Formats: sequence, structure tokens, C-alpha cells
Amino acid sequence: MTPARKLHTLQQEEFDRLLTWLDPDAARAGLNYEEIRWRLIAILTSRGCRAPEELADETIDRVARRVADIRDTYLGDKALYFLGVMNNVHHEYLKRPEMPRLPDCDDDVDAKEQTHACLEKCLDHLAPNSRKLIERYYAADKQAKIDLRKRIAVEFGIGINTLRLRALRIREKLQTCIEQCLEIETF
Amino acid sequence: MASNNGQFEQDNSSGFPDEMIRRFLLGDLSATERPAFEERLLVDDALAARVRLAELELADDYAYGQLSGTERELITEKFLLSADRERKVRVSRSLRDHFASAPNTSTGSAAYFKKVRSVFTIAQPVWRFAFAVVVLLVLFGAALLVIKEPRIVRRIANVVVPRRRPTPSAPREAGHPNNTLAPEHQTTPSAMPVHDQTVAPMIVSVSLMPTAASPGDATPWISLPKGDEDIARLQLAVKLDQLGPYHVELLTSAGQPVLSGELIKAPDNGAQVNFDVTARLLKSGDYQIRLSGDNAGATEELGKYYFRVR
Repeated sequence: MTPARKLHTLQQEEFDRLLTWLDPDAARAGLNYEEIRWRLIAILTSRGCRAPEELADETIDRVARRVADIRDTYLGDKALYFLGVMNNVHHEYLKRPEMPRLPDCDDDVDAKEQTHACLEKCLDHLAPNSRKLIERYYAADKQAKIDLRKRIAVEFGIGINTLRLRALRIREKLQTCIEQCLEIETF
Repeated sequence: MASNNGQFEQDNSSGFPDEMIRRFLLGDLSATERPAFEERLLVDDALAARVRLAELELADDYAYGQLSGTERELITEKFLLSADRERKVRVSRSLRDHFASAPNTSTGSAAYFKKVRSVFTIAQPVWRFAFAVVVLLVLFGAALLVIKEPRIVRRIANVVVPRRRPTPSAPREAGHPNNTLAPEHQTTPSAMPVHDQTVAPMIVSVSLMPTAASPGDATPWISLPKGDEDIARLQLAVKLDQLGPYHVELLTSAGQPVLSGELIKAPDNGAQVNFDVTARLLKSGDYQIRLSGDNAGATEELGKYYFRVR
């Protein structure tokens, strides 16, 4: 790959080809793409990479450019192909001078207020049982939470691990809802 | 939020314990563990789902301050490196602020009370102004009370500092005298305890013997106390075996009733029963007291007592 090729930005045609390679169904292909990207970011972050999104996108770009060459010959799990490419990208990243760490900064007041407002809206969208569960699950902290969660589990007639799983799934829905809400608020 | 004590149910097929997922998220997997985990993560949807939930859980634990010292260091070094995770922590903090301060609230009530509380917060300028006005009115009212109504102030002071009950007189072994002559009487104002001087009423006491008629010039007397709340204690001599209860009537010399009520002799008061009369009910002049008691279901007059107020 020439330096000029490296600088080449991903073309729409290449991106479409990538999606088709992932799955002929466009909707499923989009989900696959998002899922692979998220997993790459998780792995890169776990490796201590300070720009995980950037490296994940670079990995996807490189795969997209190779699809035309490999789509007829590659036989393994497609996700693993991304992993191989990502290892190369990460290896190159490690050779770069280390990026200065940006200082941590607290959320500004507006962002906090917006998040809080969105949380209240999203809580209103939850089913009553889900809302009740999440309110109680997050009510206490430290030692009190252990006793509280045991009581909630008994109250809902489920095991403590099932309670944990349910609460985190509701939490996941809240996260998605809040992020969508914040996007709407921003624009 | 939950600690790493147990795996997510139904997702154990991928064979990686929750503890390992947590170490992966904290960038704490060993070089031998890492490749297998990463490869599995990319191809195993169940493992990916567990990692997503564990990621939220870690963000919550961080926001709630429930990480160990080592985990706290790792989370800033190896976890909070993506914008996505920053957003997750922001939501975790919002959850903490929303719920941790209002435990066990019912559905919808937390938000409602929050709104109501924000209306009534002292930070609102209108409430600050209203509060200042109320303080001024209270001060003005208190000043007016002190200047115009000293009697009320004194009553309030008496309520605030409870009145000490006077100690009953020591029991006397003397029996009821048989002679009809009035004995010599001395008015003996009780000494006020020093620490009660500002609030306790003054008690002026006089011992009275029963007589058939007014003793005339020999009528025992008391000086009328100056304070309305001061007490004239009329110590009525009774027979030692008369246990009471007694019915007592205070009348003017003209027979007009002033006060009546029931009396009970203190167990250690011997042959005497105390009849306390508030000074404001008395004026200068002669008075009589009629004492009666219950005798086998019938009222029996026990004696008449005469005294003078100067």
C-alpha cells in the first residue's frame, strides 16, 4: 500500500462493498458493521490505546479497501479478518510517539442538566415494572445496596443474578434512549 | 453496580467468567489470556453482550465510588479512553444523582418532589424576600409584645420555666385544738429561692384554725401579694384522721362565692390541708372558707375558717 493510498479516504463504493460482504441484507449488514466497530473499540481500549475510535475506523477503512481482493477467496469468520488488520494498525500505532494525555475535565453544568433532563424523559418511557426495578436497584450505594438488592430480588421473586441482569438490560435501554435524546437536544 | 460475584445467567456458554470480563475492560488481562479473549469477543455475540453489560456496570461502580484503589487507577488509564464510555459514565452519574439521594421512591414521585422542592428552595429570590419580611414581622411583633403586654410576657416566661411546686410543710403531731379561742397567728411569707426569683410566684401563707364565727379583731391576716400570679396559701387545720377529699369554698364576708374546688391532703401534711388561692382573686377585706367532706355518702361540714387580706 503506497503512502498516497494510505491517505485515500474511504469511497462510498468501497463502503457499500464492505457492507455487502458483511451481509447481503443491508439492514443486517449495518448492524454487523456497528457491532464489529464496537468490539474493535473495546479491544483497542483494553490495550490502552488512547484513540480507540480512530484506530477502529482506520481498521475498517483498510478492510473495506481489501474487500474487492478477498471477498472471493477469504473463508474464515469475517470478524476475525478485522482482528488481523486491527493488530497491524495497533502495531503501527505503538510505533508512533505517544500522544499527550488530555487533562480530565468534569462535565460542564449544561451537559449534566441535559443528561438529567433526558434521564427523566427516558425513565418516563419505561414500563412501570422496569422503572420500579431500576429506581430501587440504583437507590442505595455501598453496603446498603447489598441488603437492598437482596430484598428487591425477593420482592420480584427472582435470583440476585437475574435481578442484576434485568437491571443492566434496562440500564442499557436507558443509555441508548439518553444518547438519542441528547442528540435531539443538541441539534 | 453489582460486584463481580457471579456470572450473568444464560451467558455462561462462552466460558469466560464475569471477573475476567471485568479485567478485560480494565485492561488487566495477561498476555496469555488476551488473544483468546479478543478473538472470542469478535465472534461470540453472547460474550459481546456480556461485555456491554459489564461495561455499564463498571461505569456505574465508578460513578458510585465503589471501585477499589487499583480499579480506580485502571479505569482512568485503560477504561475511560473512548467517548462512548465517557457518555456511559455521565449517565451513571446522572442515575446516582437522581436515585441515590431519594431511595425507594415510588414511580414518578421522585421527579415530582424534585420539581416541588425546586419551587420552594430558598435560592428563589421571591422566597428570600418573603423570608426577610417574615423575620421583620416577627421581630416587630415581639417588640410590640414586650412593650405593650408585659403581663403576657410574664405568663410566657412562667410557662417556659416550669413553676416549682412548693414543698409541703413538715407534718405536725399536734391534734385538733378543742378551745374556741383563736390562737396567735403570724403571717409568714415564704422565702423565694434565689434562682427562681424572676419567674416563680411568691407564696404568702397563713395557718387557719376552724372557728364557729368570725374572730373579729383576732382574725388572722395576710398581706395581699403584689403579683397577679402570686399565691396566698391558706393552711387549714383539719383532724388528723380526716383523709379527704375536701370540698372547699372561698367566700367574701358578705357571702359572695370567690372560688370553690376539691382539695386532697398531702400524705405527709399531717393535720393540715393547703388551699392555694391566686392573688388576683383576692382584694383587701375579710373572707371565710367553708370546708366540707364526704361522710358515708353524705356531705358533712368540717369547719369554717376566717381570714383578712390587707
